[in-house]
Amino acid sequence: MKKITLLAITIASISLGACNKNDDTVTDNFETLKTEVLADFTNVVAVKGYADLDNAASALNTAIQNLNTNATEANLTEAKNAWKNMRSIWEKCEGYLFGPVEDNDFDPNMDTWPTDYVQMDSLLASSNPLTVADIQNITLSLRGYHPIEYIIFGDHGSRTAASITARQKAYMVSLSTDLKNTCHELYLSWTAAPTNFAQQVINAGNGSAVYAKKQEAYLAIVEAMIGICDEVGEGKMKEPYVAMDPAIVESPYSGNSVSDFRDNIIGLQNVYLGNLGTANGKGINDLVAAKNISLDNKIQNQISAAINSFNNITVFYEEAIISQRIQCQQTMAALATLKTTLEDELKPFIIQNIQD
Amino acid sequence: MKKLYVISLIVSVVLLFTMCNKAGIFNESGYDERLSGGMATVFDETSKSFGHEIPFLNERDLAVHEIGDAAFEQTFVSAPAPVNSGLGPIFNNVSCISCHHNDGKGTPTAGFVNSSLLFRLSIPGTDANGGPLPIPGFGGQLQDVAIFGKQPEANVNISYNNINVTYPDGEIVTLRKPTYTVTNAYQSLPSNYLISPRLAPPVFGLGLLQNIPEATILSFADEFDTNGDGISGKPNYVFNSYTHQMELGRFGLKANVPNLLMQVAGAYHQDMGITNYVFPVESSYGQSQSDALNDDPELADSLLNHVVFYIKTLAVPARRNTTDADVQAGKQLFTQLNCSGCHKPVIQTGIDLNISAINNQRIQPFTDLLLHDMGDDLADNRPDFLATGKEWRTAPLWGIGLFAKTNGTPFYLHDGRARTIEEAILWHAGEAQQSKQKFMQLSKTNRLKLLKFIQSL
Repeated sequence: MKKITLLAITIASISLGACNKNDDTVTDNFETLKTEVLADFTNVVAVKGYADLDNAASALNTAIQNLNTNATEANLTEAKNAWKNMRSIWEKCEGYLFGPVEDNDFDPNMDTWPTDYVQMDSLLASSNPLTVADIQNITLSLRGYHPIEYIIFGDHGSRTAASITARQKAYMVSLSTDLKNTCHELYLSWTAAPTNFAQQVINAGNGSAVYAKKQEAYLAIVEAMIGICDEVGEGKMKEPYVAMDPAIVESPYSGNSVSDFRDNIIGLQNVYLGNLGTANGKGINDLVAAKNISLDNKIQNQISAAINSFNNITVFYEEAIISQRIQCQQTMAALATLKTTLEDELKPFIIQNIQD
Repeated sequence: MKKLYVISLIVSVVLLFTMCNKAGIFNESGYDERLSGGMATVFDETSKSFGHEIPFLNERDLAVHEIGDAAFEQTFVSAPAPVNSGLGPIFNNVSCISCHHNDGKGTPTAGFVNSSLLFRLSIPGTDANGGPLPIPGFGGQLQDVAIFGKQPEANVNISYNNINVTYPDGEIVTLRKPTYTVTNAYQSLPSNYLISPRLAPPVFGLGLLQNIPEATILSFADEFDTNGDGISGKPNYVFNSYTHQMELGRFGLKANVPNLLMQVAGAYHQDMGITNYVFPVESSYGQSQSDALNDDPELADSLLNHVVFYIKTLAVPARRNTTDADVQAGKQLFTQLNCSGCHKPVIQTGIDLNISAINNQRIQPFTDLLLHDMGDDLADNRPDFLATGKEWRTAPLWGIGLFAKTNGTPFYLHDGRARTIEEAILWHAGEAQQSKQKFMQLSKTNRLKLLKFIQSL
């Protein structure tokens, strides 16, 4: 009997020793992960996203120049596709709206809504120069994506190549060049001096001038995730839905609103998973899974549910707020659920587990 | 029996008084220092920290807050337009958020799309209600942007001169003093015009400030410095053009606005050219830029009210690092130097039965909402009701340590001339001269402790 007791104690000691060792490994891994996730968010998601945007802006500029030189329907289609492609990349970049994009007003410089038709008509009817420098000094509602969208798509895609006037052509060329310049500056703000924001995030808690602690950088990322959830669910979707007013819907010329909304949440998903396209990095999900697998499952499921719910909206959003109100409401509810989880569970998780 | 009765009576009275005592205010250690806004505090130290609703709003209030939030971000366009119609014809910026970046401050430039600086104008003298005398053809504010085809009233060029300040220990700090030059005026300005720069201030916590009882603010006043501490403190009384009454000024950088409705309605009207039920006539009325449209008021009454409610219900970010030894030492220095003479650390708000989180809260705004002479270098030399050309309202310091987060590059003081909190302190003069001198005489270590405390707000 004594022997058995001794044996039991020995086994128990070994087991406890093993547990202990295991904990150390988990802790070590978690410590390494904290650094890796910030690096992968920066390099795999953020910088790569802005690099893609920079390239897409150049492609749009080329397509618009081709349309300007040769106003065929084929070239108009090319320009429309280039616009939609760039728009999709940008909306995904909105999954991390912090840093230079907000500090240096990149967002309003390229994505102000609504378009000012009265001033646009006056500008186009005038003989004022329409160089890139002129566009840079013009009011925000005459710059960026939406005036380009208006010129190449017309109302719900009704534009024909032959109907684009010479003044509109000059305007769209300068607009797309201005947009290309803005996107390039945005890319440089993360990758080059003086801001070099990528280094500020990667070196959080280790000499970063912006984030004294890693926790601050993580909270900035999580607050941006919460922010985009809120902007889509409580803003872009809810405002026209409550008012039942199609005129408030963003991106009406291309009918791109639902894609825009979905891409915003895919951007959020990219941030959480540390993925972009085929590139897979370490994401916040790895940190959460290391300590609380059920929370990670919950967040991933809620993100997927929100993204998939957009498939139920099968008409332009301007129409959906009238004819598919239940579907719109279900998507907004899915976004609200996700937002609550991010606020009430992911944020406290970060505060509790990443304190340096 | 009689004894028993007397004893019961005595016990009851003692119990009663004990209970009264218990209901009083706790001593200092009974409160969590981090709760700058009392119950209306939010824990976020990121760039979004100024933009959260106060906790415990009911479902209906939350919905109103969100509508106001969305409206705060809306870009206005020129009339007639299907949405957000009525911009200008002359204005300073196109949306609330354009100036109040992340519900905070902005950039001290003027006339650009990302500018947050505007200029008040007047000529010497007062109007019928004791306010600044507007300039015929310009009004009381310079609109330096116009819609296509209209001319802005003027542009303002900003240049800075460097001034070195040397501490007794030999350390030198370079300050920059702004000079404003008005150019391209659409018609000639009178030679004796007065101009005052105003950088957009943060907009959180204002429901709490509005809810401070008038008697509390007046209790801080010491207009003739009867206690001899070199600090006076004077309330501003301003004309409310909506109620047609003289009222205590609380908002605006010279306490020249009585309440949030007038502040928000005035910003729509003057900064964006959006007419509303409080100011139904275009800011450009009678000028050559005025539009001939019969579309006033351009802003729905409910939207104005919702934006006022949004501002009223923005929470205050919690303090950080309150247990840090340097921060605690800095807190003591803040009191020893009598910074707290104007930047009042603790105030109790009054009653608001509709919104529990701003009702009867112990808040730490670090302002007395009173006017103080800040010396010649900060003077705008443009009186505003009872505020002289040297007087400014004490700026609340809550949230000041987060300006770098919310703004990217932080700027301080009424015109954004200060690039660091240290520079802002060194600009203090007038009634704050003694405190500033004491600050300069501190050792470098202690100066850093004080700055660390202010960064924790």
